[in-house]
Amino acid sequence: MKFLKTKEENLDENYLELHYDEIDSETAAVLERLRPALKYIEGISDGKRVTFPLSSIFYFETVDRKTFGYTSNTYLEVKETLQNIIDDHKEAGFVRISKSCIVNLYKIKRLQGDLNMRTLIYLKNDECIVMNRGYRAEFYQALKHIQEKKHETN
Amino acid sequence: MKLINKNNFISIVCVTFTLIVCGKLILEKITGFVDKNYTENIFMCLGISILATFILSLHYYLQRFPFIPVVIGQYLALIGFVFLGIWILGHFTENSPSAYHDMFVSVTIPYVIGAVVYYISYFMEIKKANEVFKKLN
Repeated sequence: MKFLKTKEENLDENYLELHYDEIDSETAAVLERLRPALKYIEGISDGKRVTFPLSSIFYFETVDRKTFGYTSNTYLEVKETLQNIIDDHKEAGFVRISKSCIVNLYKIKRLQGDLNMRTLIYLKNDECIVMNRGYRAEFYQALKHIQEKKHETN
Repeated sequence: MKLINKNNFISIVCVTFTLIVCGKLILEKITGFVDKNYTENIFMCLGISILATFILSLHYYLQRFPFIPVVIGQYLALIGFVFLGIWILGHFTENSPSAYHDMFVSVTIPYVIGAVVYYISYFMEIKKANEVFKKLN
C-alpha cells in the first residue's frame, strides 16, 4: 500500500483520500486504526437533524440534563450522555474534565493553571473551559495515551 | 482518582511512620540529643501518621472546592487535632514546656514542604502537557 503525503497551502481542512480496487488486509488495518477518528455523531442544531464528524467536536457539555456538542462555530444537541460518549469514543480523544464536560484532546491549544489548581483549557477556537482537580489524573493518562499512539504512528 | 483508599491506607501510614521515625533518629544522632520520652514520642509519631494520612485522604472529597482554602483547612484540622492530643496527654503525663511549639514546628515544616512539592508538580505537569500539545498541533 502506497502512502502519499502532500502539503497544500491554505487548505481549509485536512483530508484523506483512499484509492483502491480491493480493500486488502493491510488497507483494512489502516482503516480500522482510523475508524475512531472518522466517526460521526448525530444531533439537532437549530431544529434540524444534522450529522457532524466527531473529530470536529471541541467539547461536550451537559446543561439541564441535555448534552450539547460544540464545534468551532456552532453546537448540536445529542442524545448520548457524557458517559456514553466517553465509553464509545474514548479512542477519538475525548476525556472528562469535570462532572458536566468532556473535551476533545486534539482540539486543545494549551493549558494554564491558576492558584486554586483549577486548570484552564484553551481550545483552538480560543474558547476557555475549566478542568476540575479531580479529573487531572484521568486527563493526563489520556494525553499520555494519545502521545504514545502518535509515536507508534510515526 | 482516589490516591489514598481503603486498600493502601495502612501501607501509606506505615511508610509515613517509618520515614518520620528515621528522620527523628537521624536528627537525634546528628545533634546528639537523647530523647527521655522515647516510647511516648514513637507512639505520638504513629498517631500523627494516622491522623495526617486520614486528613489527606479527605482531599479527594474536597476537590470541588478551591485548593488554597482546602489546603489551609486541612492544615488547621491537623494542627488542631495534634494540639488536642497534646492537651489530652497533658492530663496523664507532664508535657514539656515547649510541647505545643515543638509539635507546631514538627507538623508545619513537613506539611508546607509537601504542599509546595504538590503545587510545583502541578505546574510542571501543565508545562509538560503544553509541550505535548505543541507537538500534537
